[in-house]
Amino acid sequence: MLAENAHILRVSGKPGAQGRIFVRRLSIAITVTFLTLFVIIPAVNVFGQAFSKGIDAYVGAFVGPSQPAEGTKLSLSERRKLNTQRGQVEKNWHAIRLTLGVAAIVVPLNIVFGFAAAWSVTKFRFFGRAVLVALIDLPFSVSPVIAGLIYVLLFGRTGVLGDWATHLTWPDPFSFHWKGFTDGWWPLEFTQSYTGIIFTPFAIVLASIFVTFPFVARSLISLMETQGSDEEVAALSLGASGWRTFWNVTVPNVKWALLYGVILCTARAFGEFGAVSVVSGHIDSNDTMPLRIEKLWNEYNNQAAFSVASLLALVAVFTLVLQLVADRQSGNDALRRPKN
Amino acid sequence: MSIEVISSSKTYNQFKALDHVSLKVETGELVSLLGPSGCGKTTLLRVIAGIETPDLDSGPVLFDGRDVSSYDVGNRRIGFVFQSYALFKHMSVFENIAFGLRAKPWRQRQGESKIREKVRELLQLVQLQNFAERYPAQLSGGQRQRVALARALAVEPKVLLLDEPFGALDATVRHELRRWLRKLQSQIHVTTILVTHDQEEALEVSDRVAVMNKGRIEQIAPPETIYNHPATPFVFKFLGTYNLFHARKQNGGAAGPSNGGGETFVRPHDIEISRENPDGSGIAARVSHIAFAGSTVNVELTRIDDQAVVDAALSTHTYKDLGLRPDDKVFIRLHNTRSFDHEHVI
Repeated sequence: MLAENAHILRVSGKPGAQGRIFVRRLSIAITVTFLTLFVIIPAVNVFGQAFSKGIDAYVGAFVGPSQPAEGTKLSLSERRKLNTQRGQVEKNWHAIRLTLGVAAIVVPLNIVFGFAAAWSVTKFRFFGRAVLVALIDLPFSVSPVIAGLIYVLLFGRTGVLGDWATHLTWPDPFSFHWKGFTDGWWPLEFTQSYTGIIFTPFAIVLASIFVTFPFVARSLISLMETQGSDEEVAALSLGASGWRTFWNVTVPNVKWALLYGVILCTARAFGEFGAVSVVSGHIDSNDTMPLRIEKLWNEYNNQAAFSVASLLALVAVFTLVLQLVADRQSGNDALRRPKN
Repeated sequence: MSIEVISSSKTYNQFKALDHVSLKVETGELVSLLGPSGCGKTTLLRVIAGIETPDLDSGPVLFDGRDVSSYDVGNRRIGFVFQSYALFKHMSVFENIAFGLRAKPWRQRQGESKIREKVRELLQLVQLQNFAERYPAQLSGGQRQRVALARALAVEPKVLLLDEPFGALDATVRHELRRWLRKLQSQIHVTTILVTHDQEEALEVSDRVAVMNKGRIEQIAPPETIYNHPATPFVFKFLGTYNLFHARKQNGGAAGPSNGGGETFVRPHDIEISRENPDGSGIAARVSHIAFAGSTVNVELTRIDDQAVVDAALSTHTYKDLGLRPDDKVFIRLHNTRSFDHEHVI
């Protein structure tokens, strides 16, 4: 866009051209300054802080201290320090695992929801359609803290569904493992379970779903709206089943927009703080990466905080690159549609 | 296969897109649905295809006398072609055409070699043998529409439904494809319904033309009848430019319509211009504007008695012979006039 506009400005006639050049330079300068101050410098600073005590310290946030050689006598304080370090590393990894686990549940659900919402809203005209479209945008306009509170008020001890929710027992997916055919025909089992919803990872998943569900739906809706449903009808008229039409016609047409939505959704699922913070109850085992970063920071462990933060920043950089590709490609999808 | 629609209605939010329309198309016939946008022609086509469900009080849609109302679009054995081509962008021309063959349930699906053979045949039919590996984005509009037609024909439909197939193409290509379609249709002899808003197209290719207005069929007849004997003023108006003469005004001569209280329509090319008025039958008029339009010259005249504007279209020869200039005083005579009673006037 920017390049296009610049081109238009460049070829425009002589009268007033000086003024336009000035406006162009000024607007670009403001944008660049802004981005430098508020995005680039802080992002670089994250990595700077993470490596402020050297690479060993950076790695130390993720890899525990090495076992002291056999027979070495350690003082009490040394041993305590070692244990704390191991505990920190363990917690960091737990946070990473939990974050990935939550995203692994949230993102596929988002894709399913996104397709269902986009399909119903763009391929059909029905009563209340406009309301539905507006509702999909709701999480963008609601503070994430409110999103978390909604679930606390719903599933918390005094909540509307509190009686049921606080006694709900569900197995911990991370404890799912192979136990063998020792008793019975079923060789898999859960060794741990949770009770309740609020202040467990269940609530974290719910809160993450709430804050992320517009992403895939939004990017699909805008594209599917412009593409219309002629291609689907054509496929159906040729005798293809609904399933085949969906996989061979609809999905290929929207794949880049889908990827774009998935990227944004994943980034948000990784990075969500407010909603997750409310429902996590500040219990260590419920810490996702952003919550873990905050705790490290509050414990004056700045360097470790930035080390974990650097992982999220890396995700952001990766996202940015993918996003550029997906954005361009999905733009092409919209453009390649034949004109009526 | 013959198609019969009996008293079909379709209402969108109180807008009557189709108002108890009945239509019968004989086997092998090419019928055009002609009308302005919003007249219901596309809706009728989509009802026949099974894409739209008609209102509950509608009669059935019959294919060869069999009620197909409960069949969905995939089971009616129709080929549907869209104005937007609706080609699958991510598939090559070959794969586009093969789509319907590959989508069949596996019991009816042919072997890969059979499919290849069939697609090659179709590519030949639409004269795109060398384009099999191209993608839709690499084709021109006319080529895309031919691919869309081949794709629809691949499943050997009993009925071909074309929704403004040439609407997005420029005039020359449209002309060419129109002829080609006519030839193709007589070659494969498939019952065809063509939706269009282009009168010339409808008159040129159809066996019969159904002129639609406000959700109803105004007249259905062969092109010549439609043009020469329009049943309603709407049909007359829609099929070309016209001049309107109100009967109550005395036209100062025998050229005016004889019955009182009606309206008389005359096509611009049915207006004769002459310099003399020996028998007193001409209407005196003044040339106000002359516009060159290729094969014809459009002359705008103003009647001297009531200052009404009359458009005439002359061949270039006649125009040269007359040597008309703006402000010349001439006499006009009306031929092939067409009158309608007031009750028919919309």
